[in-house]
Amino acid sequence: MLRDSKVLKTAVVLIYMALLAPIVVVVGVSFNPSSSYSVDLHGISLRWYRAFFASSAFTDSLFMVSLPVALASSILATFLGTLAAIAIVRFRFVAREAVEAAFMLPLLIPSVLLGAALYLFFARLNMSGSFAAIIIGHMLIGVPYVIRVTAAGLVGINPAIEEAAINLGCSPAIAFIKVVLPLLRSSLFSGAIFSFIVSFSDINVAIFLAGPRTTTLPLHIFSEIQWQGEPTIAAASTIQIILVTLMILAVQKFFRIRLAF
Amino acid sequence: MGTRASLEIEGLVKRYSSDVQIGPVSFRVEEGEFFSLLGTSGCGKTTILRCIAGFETPDEGRIILNGERLDTKAPHKRGVGLVFQNLTLFPHLTAAQNIGFGLALRKVPAAEVGRRVEAMLELVGLRGLGARMPNQLSGGQQQRVALARSLVLEPPLMLMDEPLSSLDLKLRLQMREELRQLQRRLHKTTIFVTHDQGEALALSDRIAVLSVGRIEQIGAPAEVYAAPVSCFVADFIGSSNLLASEIVARRGEEVEIVTAAGLRLSARWRANGDARAVTALIRPDAVRLLPEGPDGAQVPNSFAARVVDVTFLGEDIQLRVTVEEKETLLICQKSAGLPKALSPSQSLRIHVEPSDIFLLSR
Amino acid sequence: MSSQVIYSSSPAERRAAGRAQVAPWVWLAGPYALVLFLFLAIPLCNLVVLSLFRYSATSIWTPELTASNYARILDGFYIALTLRSLWIGAITTALCVVLGYPLAYFLARCSPRALSLGLFLLVLPLMVSTVIRAFGWIILLGREGAINSLLRALGIGEPLGMLYSEGSVIVALVQYVLPLMVLPLMAAIERIPLSLEEAAVNLGSSAATVFRRLIFPLSLPGLVSGILLSFTVSISVVVTPALLGGRKVRMFGNEIYDQVVTANNWPFASSLAVMMILLTFLAIALGLAAGARAGRRR
Repeated sequence: MLRDSKVLKTAVVLIYMALLAPIVVVVGVSFNPSSSYSVDLHGISLRWYRAFFASSAFTDSLFMVSLPVALASSILATFLGTLAAIAIVRFRFVAREAVEAAFMLPLLIPSVLLGAALYLFFARLNMSGSFAAIIIGHMLIGVPYVIRVTAAGLVGINPAIEEAAINLGCSPAIAFIKVVLPLLRSSLFSGAIFSFIVSFSDINVAIFLAGPRTTTLPLHIFSEIQWQGEPTIAAASTIQIILVTLMILAVQKFFRIRLAF
Repeated sequence: MGTRASLEIEGLVKRYSSDVQIGPVSFRVEEGEFFSLLGTSGCGKTTILRCIAGFETPDEGRIILNGERLDTKAPHKRGVGLVFQNLTLFPHLTAAQNIGFGLALRKVPAAEVGRRVEAMLELVGLRGLGARMPNQLSGGQQQRVALARSLVLEPPLMLMDEPLSSLDLKLRLQMREELRQLQRRLHKTTIFVTHDQGEALALSDRIAVLSVGRIEQIGAPAEVYAAPVSCFVADFIGSSNLLASEIVARRGEEVEIVTAAGLRLSARWRANGDARAVTALIRPDAVRLLPEGPDGAQVPNSFAARVVDVTFLGEDIQLRVTVEEKETLLICQKSAGLPKALSPSQSLRIHVEPSDIFLLSR
Repeated sequence: MSSQVIYSSSPAERRAAGRAQVAPWVWLAGPYALVLFLFLAIPLCNLVVLSLFRYSATSIWTPELTASNYARILDGFYIALTLRSLWIGAITTALCVVLGYPLAYFLARCSPRALSLGLFLLVLPLMVSTVIRAFGWIILLGREGAINSLLRALGIGEPLGMLYSEGSVIVALVQYVLPLMVLPLMAAIERIPLSLEEAAVNLGSSAATVFRRLIFPLSLPGLVSGILLSFTVSISVVVTPALLGGRKVRMFGNEIYDQVVTANNWPFASSLAVMMILLTFLAIALGLAAGARAGRRR
């Protein structure tokens, strides 16, 4: 049978190795005692991590910008996206499918265009480089993921349960809150984490909307690479990788992650 | 008549498109009655139930419960119990919390909630299982919790939408019994939707047989079985032999009919009117096998027949026979009463009492 | 997403029952719709409008309608830029198809535990920031990098100058975009019952034949989705070509960024952006049409 083919399995292993190689070497370089972009197999050093925490540019970008922005934008995205998902899944109204497609637009439009358009827009409003600008930009690209995840979760909930609650005396809104929301917890949680990751990792929107005070971690890494910085870059990248890995594991625990794509 | 009916449906109509319409439907359900809506899928029985519960809004008609208009009330204010086909317990609450859900909404004090929930668990035979989650209960147990959840609120009316159809056969029969006893004990007006005619016959005080959005007949089980008013009802309830015939002679109630294939039968025509074209309905268990012999010829409606095939069903035997090479009849008899083993091409004598032939005008 | 309505109610029904006039879905979908209008529709319109204005060195743009920005795109440099972006996108997508099928098939047919690990390893590179991936490729492909170190250790002569070429950009893009190809493809293959494959094998098909005559035709809708996603993402990248392409390999996204932020020529940048939107929508339209045809043929 095809699935037992050794050729297939070998190919799969090789492809995965290629997929993960860049990430693995970045982590490897972060422990390199010397100052070159190479993986030294002889010694492990934490000097670049010390350098990371000693650099206010790096720590500010992580703790003062990336994490707060991701938190704010994912909270907003989860709020907006959950409401929108409920509307799309549970109600029937004119042009519902068009609305559904429109709600997914931030996914279809390349993020570089979103970034550029928002930059020009905020520049006119004198909001360039503000926290609000980048939070809004990240919120926009996060909502479609929340909608997908929440809609998938809602569809799995038997609508008759809400009818049962209504029949027992709840108004429709209360029925939803008491009976559906508790069951949606894992979807909400997963959607929130997803939009957090999307914001935390974003670069295409950040290169346009970030300013001197609002430089995100990926953006700082970007400029450091262009200026051929020290392997502190690798340490910063590894920290990002670890955080994203933990978040993906958290989502996988509660949710079928492929439904978000 | 003159007693206040518990529920009245007047002229209920629900339109789905230009050619799909449920109704107009009208009926009354008396207090304490077990009333079934029986029909195939798509006939509108669930729609009618959902209109009473408030999850569908009728286009025309009125629903009156104990003298008050029900159809103008929002669904969460109607106070009628609803048990769904698919077990719709709240998966994140225990059985006891499910049952107490409606009481908690009505701000009943916790102590009383506990007492009433316990009493209800006892009533439906689930004593001690209150702390279990729905996924720790069997299908039958879950259905009892769903029942208890509605009953604990002491509604004037219980609505059940095919609650037993997701259970396996043996469990279904057992739950059927318990349901009937429970309903009788509580004297609770109940409207029960089902597509299973056996279930309807076993449980109901009265049955409404529906087809394509209209009520064909309402009556007690025995009446609907023995005196169907249309071929649809006759065919739906129990099995039947239907023979297109013409009335050729009348002597008061006694008539003589000739079937399309030329078989002559004596029957009773109870209705008024001068109809000539009729359908003769003969229940398979009404056809008797006669012992061989000269007396056979004296009995009315006795014919020579030839067995076409035999199906052994355990308690019953089903025979398909050709009568005088003219018509084919289905016969159902208890195996115990039959004289000897039957096989195809065997000759028999059969007989039907004239009063067992039911005539429907065509 | 299907609609599961609890109970639908027309305005007449709601009025009769004395409930609110405004349907609940308005309150639910409204906030996000408003956000989309303010922060997507208006900025995009602003973009389109700007693309028609004239660039001014002093005030960036003047409200004077002109088609000069679009005319400039027809200049050789920008035509070459567009073609290069499309070319890189096409090669990337093609490679993703070739590499994606084995992965997608494997994940579609493996055990749940393997699937869990497989999906995690697939999604992780996708969700990690692009800069980190690009950095990883710099480490791998640079003159001092991992591959060259390996070659040196093996005694092979000259270090390879692999960076700053179309090749390095394509390799990095394939690694980025492959998961986007694999996920819809995997979903499509999962829908093909294993019993079909078993039937084919029973009738004498080799593994290659099973793929060619069964898996490939039946997975076409997923393939179309995957191609669409891969292509639209790979033609619109900015960071990857910026870090790995050097001065020679610039793509559409780089140009837009430079024109907006460096050259401050917003009108021209807007016209480039509009072009990219049109290209993207064209690709989507073609993809949907192809998907519809693939779906019908089943």
